[in-house]
Amino acid sequence: MQRWFARTPSADSKARAELRIGIPKALGLWSTHQFWVGFFTALGIEPRRIVFSSDTSEEQARQYGKGRVTVDCCYPVKCISGHYGELLVREKHRKIDVLFSPMIYSLPSFLKGHALDTLACPRVMAAPENIKAGFLREKDAFAEHGVRYAAPFVSLGDPKLVPKQLHEGLQGVIPALTLAETRNAAREGYAALEAFNARAARRSREVLARCAREDRPCLMVLARPYHMDPGIGHEIEMDLQAHGYPVLWAQHFPTDPDLLEWMFGDDIRRGFIRSPHDISDVWPSSYSANTNEILWGAKAAARMPWIACVIRLASYECGMDQPSYTPVQQIVERSGTLFFSFQDLDSTKPAASMKIRVETIAYYLQKHWRDIIERKKAASAPGCPLRKIAPPAGPAGGPGFRA
Amino acid sequence: MDHAAIGHYRAYRPRPFTRSERDTVTVLFGGLHWRAERLIQGALENLGYRTRILPGATKEDLLTGRELADIGQCCPTSFTAGNLANFLRSEAVRTSAADVAQKYVYVTAGACGACRFGQYHQSYELTLRNLGMESFRIFLLAQNGLDQGAADGSGLELNLPFTMGAIWAVLVADLLQDMEYQVRPYEVNPGETERVMRDAVQYFYEVFRTSPLRGGKAGVVLWYLGTDRFLKALGEVRRSFERIEVDRLRVKPVVKITGEFYLQTVEGEANYNIHRWLEAEGAEVYPAAIAIWLDYLMRYAARDYADHLGIDRLARLKLGAVKTAQALLRFTYNRMRGALGNVPHELPDQRELYELAAPHYHGRLSGGEGDMLIGKALWAYRHKKAHMTCELSPYACMPNTMSVGAMAAVLGKHPDLLYAPLEIKGDAEVHALSRCQMILAEAKRQAQREYEEALERSGLTPEKARALYDAAPGMKRATYRVPHCGAAGAAANLVLHLAGCARR
Repeated sequence: MQRWFARTPSADSKARAELRIGIPKALGLWSTHQFWVGFFTALGIEPRRIVFSSDTSEEQARQYGKGRVTVDCCYPVKCISGHYGELLVREKHRKIDVLFSPMIYSLPSFLKGHALDTLACPRVMAAPENIKAGFLREKDAFAEHGVRYAAPFVSLGDPKLVPKQLHEGLQGVIPALTLAETRNAAREGYAALEAFNARAARRSREVLARCAREDRPCLMVLARPYHMDPGIGHEIEMDLQAHGYPVLWAQHFPTDPDLLEWMFGDDIRRGFIRSPHDISDVWPSSYSANTNEILWGAKAAARMPWIACVIRLASYECGMDQPSYTPVQQIVERSGTLFFSFQDLDSTKPAASMKIRVETIAYYLQKHWRDIIERKKAASAPGCPLRKIAPPAGPAGGPGFRA
Repeated sequence: MDHAAIGHYRAYRPRPFTRSERDTVTVLFGGLHWRAERLIQGALENLGYRTRILPGATKEDLLTGRELADIGQCCPTSFTAGNLANFLRSEAVRTSAADVAQKYVYVTAGACGACRFGQYHQSYELTLRNLGMESFRIFLLAQNGLDQGAADGSGLELNLPFTMGAIWAVLVADLLQDMEYQVRPYEVNPGETERVMRDAVQYFYEVFRTSPLRGGKAGVVLWYLGTDRFLKALGEVRRSFERIEVDRLRVKPVVKITGEFYLQTVEGEANYNIHRWLEAEGAEVYPAAIAIWLDYLMRYAARDYADHLGIDRLARLKLGAVKTAQALLRFTYNRMRGALGNVPHELPDQRELYELAAPHYHGRLSGGEGDMLIGKALWAYRHKKAHMTCELSPYACMPNTMSVGAMAAVLGKHPDLLYAPLEIKGDAEVHALSRCQMILAEAKRQAQREYEEALERSGLTPEKARALYDAAPGMKRATYRVPHCGAAGAAANLVLHLAGCARR
């Protein structure tokens, strides 16, 4: 009964339905957007009225973020000024009522319970406070545009805490919001996110299974989720995909027990790790969700024969990535997998040099992928489950698919 | 091919440091200011450890750190990793790498969270690998655990006697440092404060080294909380300071140091000797007490437990425990401060820091100093504790850059708040100091204006104030506490105090 009431829209449902919520598509939103869509939809906000800013671009920063940056820091944070600005100046008929920019303290992660924590980067979690200052220091730009600014602090890695935090953080933003319906909406949000992640992992497995069946190579990208933003990651993996290599992202690597047992069973039996998700053998201070996933992805790539090449992306001045450069490279290269790193990515895409590097990678791959796969297969445990299971029905995602 | 033929990468794991090695192995540590290091050394030796303090970090260490660890690290990582590397290298030249790995272990703080600080182990590991000394043992102690048990091998026990000794040493060192910085700029006989401080630290080293050892966990805690050993010793130090003559009518701007833990704490090349430089430029430095950091850690933990009320059934218990610990820390600090005549600065109220910062920076955002940089700057401004705040953060410091950015809105609201955020790279001294000097010039003007206003308010002239001061020799003692009369500077407060005394 309580659940039924929680699901019932409140008396202010009409006011809610008319709300338009603008969300800057940046940082932690790249791995949690499905949660927010599910959450707000469950609260009675029409899905078409939940709007995201566009992909990051230099043009966006120039047009909407100029003069708003308060401190020089990494581009993924700095560029958010452009996202805020773009959302604030939408045309009258598409004007947003609320600029929603959550301070995400911790993240949902498939490594939860196996790592020390799943924290967001300190800059990522605090970015809204930093960016907000640029819109307040002279005058209140939010008030000037008639937009309510909402930046609740939220520990998405701690689901029990989330309803309380969002209920507090959205008071006065969502009309007549109750704790019970916030609880229900958070549940819906997590369900939407899990469904999306499961879909992505399933597609990744299909790609891997096809590579295993055909003994063909694929690539893995090790990066933070926001490197999927074309303005941050500069679509390097897309350029490689154009050479015909399927691309997987570590965050969406399949975590089916049969596959993990085949990949990590030996390490568990030899006492290096306690579970397939354990990364303490390579990274003892596993506090950061994204770093942990990158490290785990490196281990997975090292143990998956058909991942013939790993591409590492990192932004200029990223203090989270910097300490992990050497272990990630070591993990990948010691397995005989090709490793290429694009560090210090910034606002401008150095197109010519990237093209040369992409062609170099394609050349090496073309030359070595057969040997790499054979060598890694020989070093793998017998009985790969990818080869046992028949390909699932439906589209498996051909070249050009990004999991 | 054997399917295990690939030699997968594994992270560095120090071999155990056993209990039986404690008599022959020396524990290396460092990274604080010299007073705190020396007193901690006394506390550790009291527990039976052989210890050695690493030399102060230098620019040469910075370059070594950059050379041996990954690119892009923050300068505290380069300084500390390079400092250790150069020490080990110099020792290895005298004996051998194997001998050094056998004779020493290194203990440092770490493992706190998601900024680079939580990942220092990787920089140390890489440094050791590139140095060819992978067999050298490094142990990290978490900064937020009072009783972490024994490190692998039980040679190093991070237990309550260890932690309580270290905390008490830090509290005493904080108070001595604060006293020193309040006295030296005004000393009549140059060098006197320096001499008294050296003697005081050496005296306290012995006090800690010879503390009577206590039994179990509860016994240790009760002993530290109940003993008057440290209060009596502080009384001795107070008597030494009493002999220093000061002239507090010298008009000097007060500069509060805040920033990233390492850079605000150390005194040396790692932060361009900023404390000494500011004094040489005519300022009184208000140093950053480590106790404030400990107080903040407990406030942060309390907030986390409070958030979990109704979710975690032990949350209330944990909240009560951490609040009690916080109250005991403040009680102990104030008791010790009282033993020095309440001359050292008080600890700011963490609740107030949180409330001041809240509109600009959420109190639950973690990493670095969290909301404290904003809270402390506003606290010093509101309560006239300093004319200027000098914030020292490493170049590209992840959390602190965020609060420095958020300060833009604070400065928009309070344009007269003098705030100098300095990005420290370790090798760009002129740039950082000239930036600081620009704001210091304004702080000097502010201090002078404040002094003149104090004279005006009190109806005194400089000559009359001097005459009143000369007539009260007790006030010229370094241990005389001039009450805070609403001004930030010592001279302005003294003028208002003299006028008040004259009226009485």
